[in-house]
Amino acid sequence: MSLDKQKSPFVYTDEQLISRFQAGDERAYIELVNRYRDRLINFVYQFLGDFEQSEDVVQDTMLKLYEKKHYYREIAKFSTWIYTIARNLANTELRKRKRRKTTLLSHMSREEKEYELPAIQPETGQEVQNEFAEKRIQKAIQELPEHFKTVIILRDIQELSYDDISSIVGVPLGTVKSRINRARLQLQADLKDLR
Amino acid sequence: MNRYQFEDLISDYIENELSLSKRKEFEAYLEDNPDAKELIESVRANMSQMKTMTKMTVRADFNDRLLAKIQKDHGQSHSPIPSQRTFFGFSPVHASLMTGLVVAFVFVAAQFFTPEGNPLPSQSRNFAEESIPTLSNPSLKNVNMATPDLAEAEEDSVSEDPKKKLSKDFSKKMHFVND
Repeated sequence: MSLDKQKSPFVYTDEQLISRFQAGDERAYIELVNRYRDRLINFVYQFLGDFEQSEDVVQDTMLKLYEKKHYYREIAKFSTWIYTIARNLANTELRKRKRRKTTLLSHMSREEKEYELPAIQPETGQEVQNEFAEKRIQKAIQELPEHFKTVIILRDIQELSYDDISSIVGVPLGTVKSRINRARLQLQADLKDLR
Repeated sequence: MNRYQFEDLISDYIENELSLSKRKEFEAYLEDNPDAKELIESVRANMSQMKTMTKMTVRADFNDRLLAKIQKDHGQSHSPIPSQRTFFGFSPVHASLMTGLVVAFVFVAAQFFTPEGNPLPSQSRNFAEESIPTLSNPSLKNVNMATPDLAEAEEDSVSEDPKKKLSKDFSKKMHFVND
């Protein structure tokens, strides 16, 4: 037996953990929370663009996981199930915002003008330039149509497989591929001045 | 290949999903259209930038707030995080209860399994102490002290009298039918 094998501890899969949680092991729940909290906040943040609200949505997602644990069936991957919950909650939050007519996007667009005016100065540090580019990309993603936004986030930021994305958004694989391709082209057009 | 066909295949090309023949056709189109080549590079750069975007992490008290929320919503008095300290798989409270039960069981079992007529040494001692009269006690004046203590008797009170033993010997009184 190699030393590496001796050192590496046994790691439960997500599906094994949810199964243990369903059987009453609440340590399995904590492990799932630890595994997915950061992934989900990066996912939800791309929709909402606000850290605090995104964190609240992730909290609600984890709460749903706790309350609805028995709704999960092992016919689907756990990751697609939890991403679906998070996506639905993020969409609900977006709809609430639209109703209140105080969307963060309009707020951010005012803020973004500050970035647009100075452009990239020669003396600007690389770090600042990267931050600027990130803000622009995030803004461009948030302005994509809903059916493009979800798939591009899942593919290019979360790096999920096409099959998983197809399960999460509930559309055929071919449609997912087509949407991702179109979303990339639209982003490229929106970010043309960045290059 | 026309422009629409080219655009439809951009992601497949970047992700190496095209068949060999399609790939050759695609690359031939790129050679003929420098703007198409620029478009591919630009899409690639965006994808790369998205992958390297700063990853956010939740705040340090995320789990605490979540657990507080769960307890609030479900009125639970216990934390979903079980105590890590256990004794043979029991929590400290249950371990003490189990220990108490085991001790009680052993004590009760000892009472049941003590042989009859042979009381526990402690009981024997107490009985002896109670039965020995003390002269200093005025209420015991009339106690007959002449009665010898069985323990001091020369003969063993347990040993049987040989005469009695003989009387119990029925072998000579037994007659077989044929006799």
